[in-house]
Amino acid sequence: MYIPNVELHECESVEQAGALLTRYGSSARLLAGGTDLLVDLKTARTATAHLVSLKRVAALRGIKLETASQSNNGYLRIGALTTVAEIDANPLVRTQYAPLCDATRDMATVQVRNLATIGGNLASAVPCADLPPILIVLGASVELWSAGGSRTVGLDRFFLGPRKTDIRPGEVLIAIRIPTIPPGFGAAYSRFALRNGNAIAVASVAASLALGNGGSITQARVALGAVAPTPAVVDRAAGALIGKTPGEDAFHAAALAAQTTSAPISDVRGSAEYRRELVAVLTRRALGAAAQRATESLT
Amino acid sequence: MPLLCQQWETTVGPVTARGRKNTAHRAVAHLDTTTAHRAAAHLDTTTAHRAAAPHVGDPVAAVAAIDERTAEAALKLIEVEYEELPPLLDPFEATAEGAPLIHDQYPRNINTHVEQCFGDLDKAFAESHLVREETFTGNHIYQCPLEPHAAISYWEHDGTLVLYTSTQVPHYVQYMVAHVFHMPLGKIRVIRPAVGGGFGGKAATCPLDLCAAILARKTGRPVKMVYSREEMFHYGRGRHKQHMRFKLGVDRDGRIKAFKSEIYLDGGAYSSFGVATAYYAGSMIPTLYNIPNYRYDGYRVMTNKPAAGAMRGHGVPQPRFAFECLLTMIADELGIDPIEIRRRNSMRPNTRTVNDLDVGSCEFDATLEAVAKKSGWAEKYGKLPRGKGIGVGAGGFVSGAGYCIYRGQVQLSHEKPREHFQKRSIFPHANAVVRISEDGMAAILMIGAAEIGQGSDTILVQCCAEALGIPVSRVRIHSQDSDISPLDLGAYSSRVTLMAGHAVSRAGWDVADKMKPYAAKMLGCDASQVVARDAKFFVAKTESGATAVSAVVGAGAHCSQSSGTRPNHAPSTVAWEEVARQYFNDNGPLVGTGCYKPPEGLGGDFKGATVGTSPAYSFGSAVCEVSVDLETGKVRVERFTDFHDCGTPINPRAVHGQVEGAIVMSAGETIMEDVQFDEKGRILNPNLHGYAMMSIKDAPQIFSGLVESYEPRGPFGAKEIGEGSTLPVLGAVAHAIANATGVWIKDLPITPEKILNALREKSPTPVRGAAYAASSSR
Repeated sequence: MYIPNVELHECESVEQAGALLTRYGSSARLLAGGTDLLVDLKTARTATAHLVSLKRVAALRGIKLETASQSNNGYLRIGALTTVAEIDANPLVRTQYAPLCDATRDMATVQVRNLATIGGNLASAVPCADLPPILIVLGASVELWSAGGSRTVGLDRFFLGPRKTDIRPGEVLIAIRIPTIPPGFGAAYSRFALRNGNAIAVASVAASLALGNGGSITQARVALGAVAPTPAVVDRAAGALIGKTPGEDAFHAAALAAQTTSAPISDVRGSAEYRRELVAVLTRRALGAAAQRATESLT
Repeated sequence: MPLLCQQWETTVGPVTARGRKNTAHRAVAHLDTTTAHRAAAHLDTTTAHRAAAPHVGDPVAAVAAIDERTAEAALKLIEVEYEELPPLLDPFEATAEGAPLIHDQYPRNINTHVEQCFGDLDKAFAESHLVREETFTGNHIYQCPLEPHAAISYWEHDGTLVLYTSTQVPHYVQYMVAHVFHMPLGKIRVIRPAVGGGFGGKAATCPLDLCAAILARKTGRPVKMVYSREEMFHYGRGRHKQHMRFKLGVDRDGRIKAFKSEIYLDGGAYSSFGVATAYYAGSMIPTLYNIPNYRYDGYRVMTNKPAAGAMRGHGVPQPRFAFECLLTMIADELGIDPIEIRRRNSMRPNTRTVNDLDVGSCEFDATLEAVAKKSGWAEKYGKLPRGKGIGVGAGGFVSGAGYCIYRGQVQLSHEKPREHFQKRSIFPHANAVVRISEDGMAAILMIGAAEIGQGSDTILVQCCAEALGIPVSRVRIHSQDSDISPLDLGAYSSRVTLMAGHAVSRAGWDVADKMKPYAAKMLGCDASQVVARDAKFFVAKTESGATAVSAVVGAGAHCSQSSGTRPNHAPSTVAWEEVARQYFNDNGPLVGTGCYKPPEGLGGDFKGATVGTSPAYSFGSAVCEVSVDLETGKVRVERFTDFHDCGTPINPRAVHGQVEGAIVMSAGETIMEDVQFDEKGRILNPNLHGYAMMSIKDAPQIFSGLVESYEPRGPFGAKEIGEGSTLPVLGAVAHAIANATGVWIKDLPITPEKILNALREKSPTPVRGAAYAASSSR
């Protein structure tokens, strides 16, 4: 198993990467951590003539809190080349964005977490990826840079199909924005895998909710991983939860909505029926954990 | 000289066969390597090929080239046209009337049929108080050693074949290569470098060994071949998936009256060790419990999958799992504690089993008592909340197969017809040479025993040092090269400690015996009074009386009381190396040899009676504790308590290492491992991503303990541990899960999905221990 003949371009800046993407068009792929792409190249799952490496682009690394401005309430900005291990160990993330660690903590292996980047995990758009569901329910968006200008896209609209995203030719995913988590808001990620170390999710669910003054749910999101062609947003979850008090009844209704949204397949890790079953259990658990965090944030 | 690399053409390889690749059962109708040969002119490639492919991934051609990329390019030039045949993917399909034959010589695709009957089954079942019959199914397990199979081969100018191979059995490789190439064993030098694990998967000559040698001869250059992880799965030789129908009859007190076993073993497309596997699946059941009436029908069936072979516990773990589950079900039904029912039926020392196996030392009862006590069984069994479970399992194994796989003497295999089997070994199974360095400061131990990561080099050095009376730091071992080290049959059937241990200690004693007259002269006593220990020779009595004599060394054990006659000026001790130098001054090289043959006449006289014979048997018991997530079915194996009777351990740490490894490996095999196939016989998970083995994050807390035991037939009282340690694990895990959930899962692996489905079906077999009154789950 060899990586076939490809030309590797080491970039020093996003502009340089953009220029290479423009020059080579569809025969070029961006390389970040390489934990998916290089394996795919070796096993001939994908092919490309040019690899445009972002590894030396220092500006794409790092985690920073952006304070509130006129246009937003402040957000956490994570450079696309930041590794999963760096995110998991970051004090800002640990204290103010703890739900994200639900996903980073158990992802793959230490070795993969040391290499894999948040940008790559999103741009690869693998249906069972761990970061998309929790980022979606946290209301995250991605910054897409291109020579012609930049745009920001909400993650809930970013995934178009298996391994397919809204990134346009010439665009580079440069950062992820996660809005400030206000008091009364809680989120959690619940995943099921066949073993505890180095296993991809059989099914995963992320949930977030906000509690109003009376303790009822004012805002809710549920997103699924590994059970649909893309990370899937459960649109009907909000309807099932808003206005209700957190508890088994409301969570059960949301779980049914999540099951309806899911479109799982059968494979070596489990049948579609089993995955659908897991979606319900994991939805209840994620909502329970999210509600607990929301409540704790108010006390 | 560059090493040449090789790639296989296989059905999942890069060669297109007009849309007809990737089906399990094909005759190779046409294989055109001419393009590749033409390419050879400028690509520097060479091919070797064959003409049948009864399973996906079976190699049909090998290419050697200047490097791996070139070999891959040449592979793409080979045209293979396959004639597709319908695949047979389980033993029931394969034995059905009218099924196509995978190999013409096996009618109904039955490779081996074992039929053994001891006692009167009908009568015993009729007299039983309770008879229970259950069906169990095993899983396809692959060893997944960390290091892949690999071989490097070249030919010396004098026609000697040199073969480096990652193997457990250097001698069998040497023997098989001699057989295939019709060349003398003496012209083949097999070198076994450090091996990254085998677990039975490297217990035979692998196609790489032969193809590397063929291609090296064709090219006149060294050839290296290595399997990828995927190719390892396609080569196979993992555990046989067994379909078991068991019937057990007991009296009112739970004492076994009769046991009937019918097993279909899914053999895959080749025999491998399968004949022995089919016999082992039956022969090892009556070694643990007293079974007065026993019938075993085993069918090893050819299927269009990679061949199954010998894997840690050879043929026994799945039947042992099934038997342990069935015995526990019966215990629960009768209201007898599962540990108590085992005590009532347990094997006793010095027993001839119903199938004529001679059990010597046996501390099975002690292991049962120890695990019960250490695990807190009485406080837990039947008293845990739902979702928490505790279970027990037991097992044991041979300490080396009594007889060699091939008959007769070491010879060129076509010299004369195969000899008739006789119940004695023609040649010793383990042989050792010890040479002492000329200054007496080092002992060089030579024995072809295969160190494959299990620590055999360590314990053999210990045995040798003990016999010589010097510290282990003065002993160096050479076990890797057949030119240097004499024949040992290798690391399989848990034989090395017992057999090679005897050979090296005897070689050590041979050296010590040659030194004693010199030591006696220096000490001014009789040679029979001399003892060697701690790098000194001394007179037995003068140290601290008779107790100073090492019981395990044995030498000098018959020291007389005559030390009083020693001259007063004689030293009380002399340095070991000084005695060695004195010997060398007079005689030249100080060399000792030792060998071991298993006892003669082991086993009965019925067909297959020798499979299961052994100089000694190990015994062990394990208690497993689990928690089960009743909403997802996920099992957490929390704790294992294991006690073993492995005789007197040579190296307790190595024993515990084997036990811990066996528990993690077998617990994973019980709940997660399974090679899966699609309807065309393609493996769906031929990699360590899709084939889930237990990771360290899943591993339980383990307590490994030993009971006191001494095996007179073992070196220094030792028996085996490596394979026997796997056997109690599967049943213990299965029982703990049943205890936690109230449902027995009888087909492996016990996945979360199966548990959840069984819980939903809500027709669980009652498990007394489970507090599952609230089973109105979901």
